Amino acid sequence: MRLKTLLAAGALSALAFAPGLAIAKTLVVGVPDNLTGLDPTNVNDTLSQTAMRTVYQGLFGFDRDMKLVPVLAESYEANPEATEFVIHLRKGVKFHDGTDFNANAVKVSLERLANPDNKLSRRSLISMLDRVDVVDDSTVKIVLKTPFGALINTLAHPAVVIMSPAALEKYGKDIARNPVGTGAFKFKRWAADTFEVEKNEHYWKPGWPKVDGVVMRSVPENGSRFAMLQAGEVQYVTLFPPELVPVAEKLPNIEVVKRPSIVGWYAAMNTTKKPFTDPRVRQALNYAVDKAAYCKVVENGYCTPLQSPMPELLGFFEPQKPYTFDVAKAKALLAEAGYPNGFETEIFALNNTNQIRAMQFLQQQLAQVGVKLTVTPLEAGVAAQRIWSVQKPEDATVQMQLTGWSSSTGDADWALRPLLWGKGFPPALFNVAYYKNDQVDADFEGALMTADPAKRGAFYADAQKRIWEDAPWIFLGASQLITAQSKALSGVYMLPDRGFVVETAEFK
Amino acid sequence: MLEYLAKRLLGIIPVIFAISVVVFAFVHLLPGDPARLVAGLDASQEDVAAVRQSLGLEGPLWQQYLRFAGNAVQGDFGISLKTRRPVLTEIGERLMPTVWLTVFAMLWATVFGLLIGVLSAVKRGRWQDYGGMIVAVSGISFPSFWLGLLLIDLFSVRLGWLPTGGYGTWAHFVMPSFTLGLGVAAVMARFTRSAFVEIAREDYVRTARAKGVPEAFVIWKHTLRNALVPVITMTGLQFGFLLGGSIVVETVFSWPGLGRLLVDSVSYRDYPVIQAEILLFSLEFIFINLAVDVLYAFANPEIRYK
Repeated sequence: MRLKTLLAAGALSALAFAPGLAIAKTLVVGVPDNLTGLDPTNVNDTLSQTAMRTVYQGLFGFDRDMKLVPVLAESYEANPEATEFVIHLRKGVKFHDGTDFNANAVKVSLERLANPDNKLSRRSLISMLDRVDVVDDSTVKIVLKTPFGALINTLAHPAVVIMSPAALEKYGKDIARNPVGTGAFKFKRWAADTFEVEKNEHYWKPGWPKVDGVVMRSVPENGSRFAMLQAGEVQYVTLFPPELVPVAEKLPNIEVVKRPSIVGWYAAMNTTKKPFTDPRVRQALNYAVDKAAYCKVVENGYCTPLQSPMPELLGFFEPQKPYTFDVAKAKALLAEAGYPNGFETEIFALNNTNQIRAMQFLQQQLAQVGVKLTVTPLEAGVAAQRIWSVQKPEDATVQMQLTGWSSSTGDADWALRPLLWGKGFPPALFNVAYYKNDQVDADFEGALMTADPAKRGAFYADAQKRIWEDAPWIFLGASQLITAQSKALSGVYMLPDRGFVVETAEFK
Repeated sequence: MLEYLAKRLLGIIPVIFAISVVVFAFVHLLPGDPARLVAGLDASQEDVAAVRQSLGLEGPLWQQYLRFAGNAVQGDFGISLKTRRPVLTEIGERLMPTVWLTVFAMLWATVFGLLIGVLSAVKRGRWQDYGGMIVAVSGISFPSFWLGLLLIDLFSVRLGWLPTGGYGTWAHFVMPSFTLGLGVAAVMARFTRSAFVEIAREDYVRTARAKGVPEAFVIWKHTLRNALVPVITMTGLQFGFLLGGSIVVETVFSWPGLGRLLVDSVSYRDYPVIQAEILLFSLEFIFINLAVDVLYAFANPEIRYK
């Protein structure tokens, strides 16, 4: 009896402390990892980049569906050869230190990133930059050394940001600890596991931001992140664990959101090694794998089967005719190619739970058509040695490799060229299938020689069709992103590249 | 005593040398070229060369070792590959949260562990003994990640009394130090009990009782003080383990300490930080062992190391 009273009292006090009742003015986000740095031009992880999107902005950006939108730019014109881009800038924008955003700031920022002497890790994005000319205070002309049709998308990449020239001058190398941009929030503090920004009172979008500040707290343990959300200590949790979704969905003040991503998963087959030299074998393996089952088993159902070599949210995506799950057809194709009883082969992937599970799934599926698959999980260092550092294609030992890829420029070029270009064999790029189709190569190169979206679209449509038919990969699925948030919060959303936007955050 | 201390301090030098060799060798025993891994797969040859230089990985092995040891002696452990800040700054930021958590956890665990141990020993075979030992065995058997999550669920989510995690006010210390200390308290209780029971059988305890020394005095002075030697050893060892930063407790309670830094560094292959942390943990153990030996002398004046 007494225990019951005690419990009831506990429940009452829980109500009194229930999240969402108090009007929070600062948004707290629970993230699984730590930031690695505050200079977006010199970090490689999505989290650091997305955190710095609160402080820094680029000329262009992406909306929530990965469509390109102008940010600090207003419009642009390109020459037909895709070597010169004139960009008209937004007027009346100020950096957090009070100095003006103008053509000179664009010149300083882009040339800083492109200069090899600065050794910035994101330089490769715009290494084709020759110079930036200041036309007038609000117009720049970007001149490239070689044609690059995907430039505007690249300028939307979270690493290509415009920094305050005055701050660059003042802090020098220490800019990495003292970020000064034009974003909705000003940098406040970065300690061991907490990153804090506060409202930019002079933000150029009138009325925004609506919250006083944003705090990102690194909480590695899944269960703890969920507990913090329930206790109201955080209002937004990224990369929410799939196994907790059913529990979270039952809670009255928590909302679970699922969104498609641009992370595509596939198993590359080394097209220079028998039996994968025969396209019929590669197609057979595609028919032999049930993609819907893959999504269910490997991704807990939070995934959609790939419909093209690239995920559908990317620019120039064209859906292809699916390889429907058909064991009989797979067997027939294998017999036609001279392998009526299947064959033995080996697959590589990293040694984390998910990738091992995916490899075991493939092993089980391919066994149905007589293909005996040896599963070989590799430690990252060993993988680098055995897959990526191989100098000559004939030295490659990889037969199959399971991996995922995300094109952070949101463009078809970076989704396909690094993985399927005839000039992109390791160690140059990541074409582990050692796939080479002259027509596809011509498409990739042609699409970079023009800035005309219609022409680029035609090149990529052709490339996707040919790659799909050649089937250098077993096309698997695109993962979904799961987040959980307080129902009192709106306007925060995940981007398909695993970044998230907090600028439009608002509490009801 | 001073002479003993000096001897012990001199004896530490070869130990530190051996540790430094192991820590140095660690980078070379891993598969793959560390410079290539750190620089990234798409890095150019010059970038890899630059990383190799910053990691001190050029020249013959003995030169590399001398450079590593020379810098380490001056407190220079290089730059963290992840955050590009000096390793010492990184570790410095994480040191105090771990030290305070350890101190609080050890404090309550030692006091309660000792009390339960003595109580169980004195009331041997009675309900107090069984009760105490049930608590102790449960304390050892509770997996701390599970206990931590249960505490969070009860005190933070349901009752809303305590923050779920993070480093800040006293309220932030309650659950992590309890979780961390529970295992220690349990070990302490069992150790104290067995040492106490053993000493209580000694002749001098019987003599003390026979000559009419009050029971409280027999327990606290004659028995406990002699039983303390193994307990001090245990405390020292536990202290050393906890100072390394509890990976599990720091992860569950989002504690910005050394344990989490180590996990983060390992998953990022942040070699300089890993090396410095291993070196730090080894040093902590060496000095705690030394402190323990000195404490023996206070507990038992017979051990004065002449």
